Amino acid sequence: MEMKKADSPDERDFHLVDPIAVAIRTRRPDEEGLHDRFAPTDPSPALDVARHPRVARVLRNRKLQFMLILPNQIIFWLVIGIGLLGTVIPGLNFATAITWYLWFCLVFVMMVVVGRAWCAMCPFGGFGEWVQRHSFWNRTRSSIGLGLKMPESVAQYGFLSSVGAFLLLTWIEEYFNIAGPGNPASTSFMVLGIVGSALLFFLVFERRTFCRYVCPLTALIGSVGSMGSVAGFRTRDRDVCLSCQTKDCMRGDADGYGCPWYTWPGSSDSNATCGLCTECYKACPSDNIGLFVQKPLTSVVSPTRRRADVAWSVALLFGLVIYQQVNALGAFVRIDNWLNTHTHFPQYPNPIDYIAGIFGVALLMAAIAAGFEKVFASASPAPVNSPSFLTRTSSFRSYFLPLMYGIIPVVGADYFARQLPKLLLHLPRVVVSVGHLFGSGSTSSSLYNSSLIASNKGIIAVQVAVMVLGTLAAMWTSWKIAGRELVPLNGSRRAVQWSAAGLALVSGVVVAVLYIMMNAAN
Amino acid sequence: MTTIETRKEERHVTVLSDRCAGCQECVIRCPVNALSMDHGSWTVLADDDLCVGCRQCERTCPFSAIQVGGPMAVTDRLDPPLAHPVTLRGDISETREGYSSWSDVLKEASRCLECPDPTCVRGCPAHNDIPGFIGALRQQDLSGAHEILARTSVLPDVCSRVCNQSAQCEGACTWSLAGTEPVAIGRLERFIADQMMTPAPTVDPSGAARDLSVAIVGAGPAAVGAAWDLVEAGAAVTVFEKDDTVGGLCLWGMPEFTLPSSVAMRAWEQLETAGVEIRRNHAVDADEIEVLLREHDAVIAAHGAGVSVRLPVPGMDLEGVVDATLFLKGAKEALEPMGSAASFLHSLGLTDTRAQRVLVLGAGNTAMDVARMARRLGLDATCVDWLDERFALARPDELAEARHEGVDVLFQRTVVKVEGSGRVHEATLAHTTQASATHTPKVVPTASDTLRVDLVVMAMGYRVDASFASVLPGLPVRKVYSAMASRQWVASGVLANPASSYAHHSPVGHLALAREVGLNAAAMPVAPRLWVVGDALTGPSTVVEAMAQGRRAARAIMDAQPNSPSRSTQSRELQPRRILVCFESEGGSTADAAQRIGAQLREYGARVDVMALEKVGPMDLAHADAIVVGTWVEGLVVAKVHPAKATRQWLDALPWLGGRPVGVFCTYGVDPRGALAEMRKVLEAKGAQVGVERALGRRDLKNASSNFAQQFAESMMQTVLR
Repeated sequence: MEMKKADSPDERDFHLVDPIAVAIRTRRPDEEGLHDRFAPTDPSPALDVARHPRVARVLRNRKLQFMLILPNQIIFWLVIGIGLLGTVIPGLNFATAITWYLWFCLVFVMMVVVGRAWCAMCPFGGFGEWVQRHSFWNRTRSSIGLGLKMPESVAQYGFLSSVGAFLLLTWIEEYFNIAGPGNPASTSFMVLGIVGSALLFFLVFERRTFCRYVCPLTALIGSVGSMGSVAGFRTRDRDVCLSCQTKDCMRGDADGYGCPWYTWPGSSDSNATCGLCTECYKACPSDNIGLFVQKPLTSVVSPTRRRADVAWSVALLFGLVIYQQVNALGAFVRIDNWLNTHTHFPQYPNPIDYIAGIFGVALLMAAIAAGFEKVFASASPAPVNSPSFLTRTSSFRSYFLPLMYGIIPVVGADYFARQLPKLLLHLPRVVVSVGHLFGSGSTSSSLYNSSLIASNKGIIAVQVAVMVLGTLAAMWTSWKIAGRELVPLNGSRRAVQWSAAGLALVSGVVVAVLYIMMNAAN
Repeated sequence: MTTIETRKEERHVTVLSDRCAGCQECVIRCPVNALSMDHGSWTVLADDDLCVGCRQCERTCPFSAIQVGGPMAVTDRLDPPLAHPVTLRGDISETREGYSSWSDVLKEASRCLECPDPTCVRGCPAHNDIPGFIGALRQQDLSGAHEILARTSVLPDVCSRVCNQSAQCEGACTWSLAGTEPVAIGRLERFIADQMMTPAPTVDPSGAARDLSVAIVGAGPAAVGAAWDLVEAGAAVTVFEKDDTVGGLCLWGMPEFTLPSSVAMRAWEQLETAGVEIRRNHAVDADEIEVLLREHDAVIAAHGAGVSVRLPVPGMDLEGVVDATLFLKGAKEALEPMGSAASFLHSLGLTDTRAQRVLVLGAGNTAMDVARMARRLGLDATCVDWLDERFALARPDELAEARHEGVDVLFQRTVVKVEGSGRVHEATLAHTTQASATHTPKVVPTASDTLRVDLVVMAMGYRVDASFASVLPGLPVRKVYSAMASRQWVASGVLANPASSYAHHSPVGHLALAREVGLNAAAMPVAPRLWVVGDALTGPSTVVEAMAQGRRAARAIMDAQPNSPSRSTQSRELQPRRILVCFESEGGSTADAAQRIGAQLREYGARVDVMALEKVGPMDLAHADAIVVGTWVEGLVVAKVHPAKATRQWLDALPWLGGRPVGVFCTYGVDPRGALAEMRKVLEAKGAQVGVERALGRRDLKNASSNFAQQFAESMMQTVLR
């Protein structure tokens, strides 16, 4: 398409009609160190799938996200309704079957392979956003609600609010045995609670504040999803972005909303906060934003800016999944019962051992990082006593953050492996539960009682295989990260690389052994 | 740079690190270099010691990722004192004075931050380079300041006196948007105009308008703006004024104590010296516009909005009820040194020796002028307005001055009845309530007062003369910015905090954006070779706005180089036609067809711009001699086929096209049905002459050898040249 240029011959003949431009004397943007800062994370131009006209046309379509959300929206409102009104047999109820035998596992597959694919089609945020924008897909100029910003006192902790929400939800899930699955109505109430919370946040705060800070899954997807092969929407030419006078990708224009996730494609260096909503792509006046794919694990290894919230999220989420493995062991059951007796708490899980277990693992990881700090003295950055949690720097953080990024594949594999038994044992029940809605499925059907893998040993083998893959990936990422960021001043690069990879290996082995032990306990 | 107070320790800039994306919108706009980049985290670093607290960063951050706390480091505003006459009666000396010393000027000028993206410039209807001329003042460079002002304003002496700066430049000053006193921009402009006469127009006989003959109807500020630029560019300009003096509202409608006649006449004296022909006592009616179009290459209608708005209540036909125009003209003459106040009052039927009361209907600026003139004639004056005082239309300083001079201004009152036996004697005032500025006041049925009055002056404003509707259709243009706000305006932050108390809670950014509608409309001819500017275009507005519109029309004429058929015997090089080809494309076929048509039009020597509909700006339309619109179509062949929704919306939002030749085409898969007819109908309702229509099917589009583009371009050029 031919575009008018300010200095085209035709334009020169026109008289000055916009004197505002003469009075604008904005400074040039600071470009010092720009290349070094972003070169490691900038995807290759050849990996921009939006260069294909058909893909571009799909991405530019305002109905795209609506079409992604709609099927999930229908399914989850069915989940709410059928969970409350349908059969109380969890395996036969569509709500519990689709949620716990299929969806939760699929979410992990999507995050490991793509990143925030689920966020692009999430019915919870999608519903809130439809209400907030009072439109299913059109670009509206006003929004419903108060439009507040998340206070800095909360926002500075990034994903940690989400981790808190995930820990709380998981505790509730364990307490009421929702995902067991237990009573289908519990699943309905849980989904309703998430939809309601999302709606409340969308009406109080602006953009996707809920998805960015509060959604129970956002920390998990943001950290584990960095293993994914979709880099997200990024700039094609950073100079164009820096000199852009309107920043429509952030503010929005007639074609698209400003980024609901507070992410600027011009400075995005990982896929952690790109919700793949396509709004920036639609809004960019210069066609300077692409949808890039990347090699797996790139967003784990490459970012030059390590985020403290991601690191602590990884440590705490690792603690949570370890807790969920340990709680199947007999020794733990005795501890939990003992605590319940002495704290007059009615049943599993006792909050004390729940918190202690999760934070214990996180603190253990922090202690190991501190050990690295002691052993490998490096040229760590000068400490910055910033009042903001995210911008503070310290010698400890210079080890803790890279090491936690390094074990992301172990944590990701662990969460995925933990969902496998339900998937492998009960996936056929999803089909039966759909049939049951039409009066044809029953617990006595052969399909209901069939499994993808029925034997305990088979499931353990798959889980261990997943952990082997995750551990190998974590060893590789730890090796690469340590080689780049943790090289000691007076020591061997290899030593720190072996140590970091060793941490990943030990983490993976512990998890794998726990899978063997917990299945034996079962 | 501004003088900084010492309370730095209380001021703190917080960069919300999780939300800061390092886009540098704040960094490039910070007036004091207090923001820089942390290259490691690629977020912004703030230096509290350098920060002055102007909060421009807060207003411009796309993600609201920066917060500034604490006081603003700026000295108190320095305004020259008002000159209150000791004896009001008969005193017509100026009440507002300029700065009397350079030291005061430099002190006030030092409050300006010279913002890199100055919001005040967007707030000024003429878009004066305010930081530029204030910078020149700091250098004590008066001619430099004049030079900067002359780029955008030819009336700095008038505008600095009569502009409502609080709703314009000063309201949009970054200090005002931040919540403190703005720089006294108007007073600084006044100082420049006071110290050195605004340079006269410099005629360039070989300028861009050297072969043009332009007629201007009216001699108000819009005419000044248009005539100034045209005569400078070498045009032969003839001004037709219905009165025996030029100046329009600036002369007869503004009291001497607000705008001295010598100042109001300065521009016209300079224009006449520069060669502008002024035909006084020559009223131009709607029919004569056609005559002028035959005799001149272009006509600019700048005849103002001179019809008084009348209040339809009982008793308004009584003797002693007059309109503001009559009162202001008479009072101004009466208060001149050779005038007679007594005979003027006598002509109004005010012969009694007792204190007599004038009831002024309205409390806008005209009403204030009437009331203050009345006070100088020895009358008591009461203004009534049904608006709430919070939403008053008058300049705040004008209102304060009127009250200081003894004018009784009653808000939330409206006249429901005027009574008297033959002559007005008593007025009944009902009470009103108004919830917000956008709500129409409501009359409270149970509350009313009566007021003894001797004269009623209707000063509720003016409206456009409807007798011109036949030749100037679609006017007045409503200054409502209905499209999504210009992204550059949003980026500047002028729209982010529109309700500063120092701008009297006026949404200054949005008001300024709405004024752009008038400016853009001024560049568009309402009919071939006929432009309308000023109050005639948009209804009553301000002097600066009218002047800016006049200049915008003058520049459009210079770009368009219109040519009267009756003057075509003159040897003049015809300019190539400019054709805008715009399209709405879904899959690329329509865009491709548009490009092929554009290429063919270039073959015929036209200057062609091809662009997507969404990229077409008001000036692209204004510059185009002809327009081609292409679209894909949507709908069911069995039901109805429409142009694409985006095209329909774009067509609906088009301004008046004033007889512009337009060609339309659509691309279709199966059958376009009535899509082209639908487009033609809308375009003709907008004043376009649709000369070419073409529906392009797959065969045309897929076949590279198809000559549809050549056929379309040939027909289009015939239409354009017809």
